[in-house]
Amino acid sequence: MSGPTRDPKGATISFSFDGKTYKARAGDTLAAALLANGVGLVGRSFKYHRPRGIMTAGIEEPNALVTVGEGGRAEPNTRATDVFVYDGLIARSQNRWPSLSFDMGAVFSLAAPMLGAGFYYKTFFGSAKRWMFYEYFIRKAAGLGNAPTKADPDRFSQRAAFCDVLVVGAGPAGLQAALEQAEAGKRVILVEQDNILGASLIRDPQELDAAWAEAASARIRAAGGRILTRTTASGYWEHDLVTLTQRLSEPGEVPTNGVTQRLWHVRASQVILATGSIERPIAFAHNDRPGVMLSQATRTYVRRFGVLPGKRVVIATNNDDAYKTAHALQDAGAEIVAILDARPQFSDAAASAESAGLPVWTNAVPSSVSGARHCLSGVTAIVDGQSKNWKADLIAVSGGFTPVVHLHMQAGGTLDWNEAAQAFVPAVSRQNVTTIGGAANPDPVFPVTPVSNPKKSFIDFQNDVSLADVDLAWAEGYRSVEHLKRYTTLGMATDQGKLSNMAALGRLAEKQGVSIPEAGLTTFRPPYTPVSMGLIAGAGAKNAGAHVRRLALYDVHAAKNPIWQPLGYWFRPRAYPQGQETLAQAALREAKEVRTGVGMTDVSTLAKFEVSGPDAAAFLELICATTVSKLAVGRGRYTFMLREDGIAFDDGTVWRLDENRYLLTSSTGGADRMATHISYVRQYLCPQMKVSAVNVQEHYAGIAIAGPKAKAAMDALIKADSPRHMSTVPAEIAGVPVIVLAASYSGERAFEVYVEASHAASVWAACEAEVTAQGGCLYGLEAMEFLRIEKGHLVVGGEVDGRMTPMDLALDKMLNKAGGYIGATGLSRPALAEPGRRQLVGLEAIEGDIPEGAMLITRKGGSPHGHVSAAAFRILEGGSVALGQLKDGFSRHGEELIASSPTRGQEARVRVVHPHFYDTVGERYRD
Amino acid sequence: MMQITCPHCGPRAQSEFIYERTVDSVVPLDAAPEQAMTALFSRANPRGVDEEIWRHTYGCRAWLIMTRHRVTNEISATRAVGPEALP
Amino acid sequence: MTNVTMTLLPAAPLHVFEIWSNPAAVAKRFKAATGFELPATGTSGGSDALRLIRFEPTVWLVEGDISALGDILADDGALTAIGGGTVRIRLSGAGWRTLLMEGGVFNAEDPAFSAGCSAATVIDHVNVRLHVVSDDVCDAYVPLSFSAGLLHFWKEAALSLFEGVAS
Repeated sequence: MSGPTRDPKGATISFSFDGKTYKARAGDTLAAALLANGVGLVGRSFKYHRPRGIMTAGIEEPNALVTVGEGGRAEPNTRATDVFVYDGLIARSQNRWPSLSFDMGAVFSLAAPMLGAGFYYKTFFGSAKRWMFYEYFIRKAAGLGNAPTKADPDRFSQRAAFCDVLVVGAGPAGLQAALEQAEAGKRVILVEQDNILGASLIRDPQELDAAWAEAASARIRAAGGRILTRTTASGYWEHDLVTLTQRLSEPGEVPTNGVTQRLWHVRASQVILATGSIERPIAFAHNDRPGVMLSQATRTYVRRFGVLPGKRVVIATNNDDAYKTAHALQDAGAEIVAILDARPQFSDAAASAESAGLPVWTNAVPSSVSGARHCLSGVTAIVDGQSKNWKADLIAVSGGFTPVVHLHMQAGGTLDWNEAAQAFVPAVSRQNVTTIGGAANPDPVFPVTPVSNPKKSFIDFQNDVSLADVDLAWAEGYRSVEHLKRYTTLGMATDQGKLSNMAALGRLAEKQGVSIPEAGLTTFRPPYTPVSMGLIAGAGAKNAGAHVRRLALYDVHAAKNPIWQPLGYWFRPRAYPQGQETLAQAALREAKEVRTGVGMTDVSTLAKFEVSGPDAAAFLELICATTVSKLAVGRGRYTFMLREDGIAFDDGTVWRLDENRYLLTSSTGGADRMATHISYVRQYLCPQMKVSAVNVQEHYAGIAIAGPKAKAAMDALIKADSPRHMSTVPAEIAGVPVIVLAASYSGERAFEVYVEASHAASVWAACEAEVTAQGGCLYGLEAMEFLRIEKGHLVVGGEVDGRMTPMDLALDKMLNKAGGYIGATGLSRPALAEPGRRQLVGLEAIEGDIPEGAMLITRKGGSPHGHVSAAAFRILEGGSVALGQLKDGFSRHGEELIASSPTRGQEARVRVVHPHFYDTVGERYRD
Repeated sequence: MMQITCPHCGPRAQSEFIYERTVDSVVPLDAAPEQAMTALFSRANPRGVDEEIWRHTYGCRAWLIMTRHRVTNEISATRAVGPEALP
Repeated sequence: MTNVTMTLLPAAPLHVFEIWSNPAAVAKRFKAATGFELPATGTSGGSDALRLIRFEPTVWLVEGDISALGDILADDGALTAIGGGTVRIRLSGAGWRTLLMEGGVFNAEDPAFSAGCSAATVIDHVNVRLHVVSDDVCDAYVPLSFSAGLLHFWKEAALSLFEGVAS
């Protein structure tokens, strides 16, 4: 191609490609605008770095992949045929160095014999050194665009919609169907991936034309239908759910309302697929180079965009449709130097073309093209067995039509082989989906057998797979189409084989000596076209995927500027540093205050259930593995819960608030799981029970006050004598009703205050004033961890890790002797009582600090006997201590082991001890 | 994403539901040890129709039993389980 | 023009009213004491003084004065306070249906989902309970911990959907 191919008049939009500024007309795709400006070389191929131009005019484009936009908005691997030019668009070519026209990587083309099918796999079989040598070059050279390194500044939206009829594709068939359904009173959604409606009507205006399409769309809207353009139905899922990806701004463009793309989840009662077909290329030597274009795409550039992609054109076809291209080109002023028709006989279209003076050759198949980097210079064909040459700057090819059956297949439908069209068409649908128009009835074609050198005859352009690669895979024993696909990477590029699959199948069938349908077909899976990752994340793309759960007292904590700690979906204060304190310094200070004075912390995230009714105690004795019914009103106890197989899965406390009313607490991390478990037992296993178990996790905020001075603080707060350890009283703090529980996680005398979350702030303020008056401070999760490790208390997810039984955790003395709890039967499995199980132990450092997560070994290189589940320091005396799980640990107290963490590069010598390092007799939390 | 007909709420998106287990893996409260072990550790797992327990967790929170073809995801029936409820 | 307004309603007592036995008898006592029927699943009943919204087969969410309910339940159920953990966000304006489709999976655009209807669903991963007050007003009951995040999500979504947004 040389020079502009369209009158520059009316081209007012500026865009740039590889740093050079060009002008485009409104409505141009980037591909149309590049062609209009005479830019023929657009990219380099994936593996061999061969020069590539524009082959299609749609989403199936395999060659013209560019990066559009800058910074966080950059979109690599954008098809130039699928981006509409806007003022200021910046596009860059990919996979070339130092420049597009002079690409060092093109030497790979010379090395092509080494890089054929299965090259990667073969290198694996050599020595590792050899693979690493290749890998260095392959990683540098192979590939497409680069992922942007900055965050996308725009939002992605997800939206649900429901309709009676979803019509996919706004060509003549789709428009007609949508119009009929909408005017019959159905709620219709019509989607079109292009930015205008009409599809084939735009390139082939006949009885129906663009004006008709516009009128039809107005009537659909008037009947209440919704029309979405720039929207691709990319996935067909269960029960007629179709996902649509809608572009609200073009790649790289600043969106007008902050949202760049929208993912629709459309649940339809009925789906009509009017998805049309994709034209097939023809395999001949160098059929991948600039100047080789699909016939319908050529016509689209001429008629829709006013661009003339070639002045001397050869048409190669096996069907009648390509004759329309010949006429369109001729009308636009191009010279048709030859029409190569693979069919042996003149069709009506061929005959009328010939009588109009066009040079038609039958029994003619192209074998090769020649040219320089940017353009084509000649075409060679085999005509009636003889080789013939033409000078040409464009070859427009049509190898037939592949119906777009992707969505039909994704829905679980089957396909039939249509011999006349040499194509698979929808047969049986599994869901409420029908296919109409060209996708159901493709035009008849004549099967073409390639006559060219297979090495340079490409079938998968994006992955550089040639006919020779298919032949090689066959020769090496790959018979199944699924194996062929994986061995050659055919159909595995971003276009997912839209142009290549049928050519490959044809070659494979030829090798096997069977028909194409017998050779088989690979599975179609969503998405139909590539989908941005941000669109799948939706609004979550901005906040790590999900909303952070905020504490009721968030503002109170935030004002103190704590170090925050993510805990599941929650964020909780980890420590409240003062001045220049580090996390460790702050946590140690806070923990010391709890050991010697008084501290307070927010425990609102604990799971909490209010259980009431005459059967409440009986119900809780199913959930809890400890006794509950013996609790007097106003008393509570530690408890734990088992899975049906007898493994401990959570722990907490249970309190009898009233005759028939209990409060059950359990771990923060297990809260949702416990809520489900409680509901399952209540609703499914015990529907007859007279009990109500309500999740009040968020209803109550919780404040823990702990330390030797906690009782004095609590007495002052509730203006009464505080409850004894494991007792509870209703009380008032700052005029707000609260529940005070006396329970200790830290090992000190301690209380938990539960208050309706909406009134938590004033209660917190009163508690903080009192704690401060006692000389105490706030403490965070890190100090809490220090305190509980030293005390030997368990954490669900740490020591309670889904493998430990109550026996392994030394909790078996607390089991309800009467049995009957969930897990009692599972716990009786003999294997759970066998020796060799891991058991809870304490670990004391003899030398070094114990690394968390370390394995416990008896000698270097030995196999692990257990691991360290949590490590901390003795708060007042110093010294590294830890909790761990150790094989037969109960009988190994006193033994010396190595706690080794190769991943942290840390090691300590440890002694196995009892897991309570502090107040082993439990005096401190009693009065 | 499937569409599940909740016996109380009508057709709803699968994301409102949580799968619990198959009906044959329920351990009744009064199960004999052998029956409990069978339910826990040896299940039919058919390639075809099975009965599953789901919960409309983010909807009405009720439990239901779903008859689902595990290859095609065709749901032939759903029915309510749980305490007696008003219509 | 603003198509939806988001207002945080003041914290109010909310209770769970659960029936575990003899539902028909409870319904009869309820009707006799209050003058209206216990609402069916997916609907609400009552007035501002006492409103019951049914989201679950055996559970009603109670807004307002609960003093009569204990006697109605007698030994057939229980009342439990849950108001502290729930934030009520009022969506006013014609655009509330459009807004609720954003990040949602429930068909809030269905005209049958009208005044007096209730539904629980998921919006942007958050469990939300909806109660249609009138054509132009829908109340959302949101877990306290998620309410700030969801409100932010709704404000951003409204900005992209409508010409303006107030809160």
